[in-house]
Amino acid sequence: MNIHAVALIVSVAIFLFVIDLVRRRRLTFKYAMAWLLVSAGAIFFAVFYRFLFAFAAWLGFELPSNFIFFTLFCVFVFLSLLLTVFLCQQNNRNDIMAQKIALLEFELRELKKKLKVE
Amino acid sequence: MTPPNKKILAIVPAFNECGNIGRTVREIRKAAPGVDILVIDDGSADTTAEEAREAGGMVVSLPFNLGIGAAVQTGFQYAQKHQYDIAVQIDGDGQHDPAFLEKIVGPLRLDGADMVVGSRFLEKIGFQSSFSRRMGINFFVHLIKVLTGVKVNDPTSGFRAYNKKMIALFSEYYPHDFPEPEAIVVAQQAGARIVELPVVMRPREAGSSSIRYFKTLYYMVKVTLAILLHMIRQGRGKV
Repeated sequence: MNIHAVALIVSVAIFLFVIDLVRRRRLTFKYAMAWLLVSAGAIFFAVFYRFLFAFAAWLGFELPSNFIFFTLFCVFVFLSLLLTVFLCQQNNRNDIMAQKIALLEFELRELKKKLKVE
Repeated sequence: MTPPNKKILAIVPAFNECGNIGRTVREIRKAAPGVDILVIDDGSADTTAEEAREAGGMVVSLPFNLGIGAAVQTGFQYAQKHQYDIAVQIDGDGQHDPAFLEKIVGPLRLDGADMVVGSRFLEKIGFQSSFSRRMGINFFVHLIKVLTGVKVNDPTSGFRAYNKKMIALFSEYYPHDFPEPEAIVVAQQAGARIVELPVVMRPREAGSSSIRYFKTLYYMVKVTLAILLHMIRQGRGKV
């Protein structure tokens, strides 16, 4: 089988998978955007691989495959950093929510006690 | 001249402290009858909450373990909401003797400080901690001195008192995980007047400290990094 065909099939599959996840509401648009852009780029380069080769050569990569690995590596590092930021944000919100719930629960209990006395 | 009456809240963070917490609450009530006691049950799996409630404390139960920093912060949030003038942090494990509560509140009553740290090393009486831990504490003494110019002899002490300004500051932002040394830096950077007074501490009565021997090094590295990161943080509060 042709390697270009494989690359094309895989990138189209990822693209469709992301769209399906959004359709089934498993992925919100906010997070889907990054994945759609990445897979759209992959499709573009799978079709017009001459661009990829030319671009890799222009940047000074001896082998186009090295350029691909390098690009993927950068994308994933950036993506995981982004996910860590989201994780942090969620963690903070979770803590604040837990504190608020605990305080509300306490005040509710006090209120109930007061109502019983009256 | 007697200083005006102040509304005081004792914040007692407790994580799995059954066997200690009841006694701590009763001791505080005996030593400082006018002080409201708020126990923050930090997601304990045992009967900490019931024990504290039976002893006469108000108990706020966090739905899961958030760590000492977030637990104490919950206390500040309560104090802020109910407009307390002074908040005192006392650990729930019985190490802090409530007999000293009035003493560390003193400078706040007279508005001579924003934050008072109860130090076991000023008069060197009572439980002095293990040698290795004292080395670690010494490291923080110097780190804080270099970074802020303030010398606090017992920066890991969790026996502290705060005035209204500090309550407002810390209910907004309080360091998590191992907050004591970092909180001093946060306070100093916010322009707080920090005073240290000698207190006597006791060894723990039951249970084990949250900072175990083999974790001391990890604790030191982590807190150091946290303090250094705080120095470059944006949007720090002012009091």
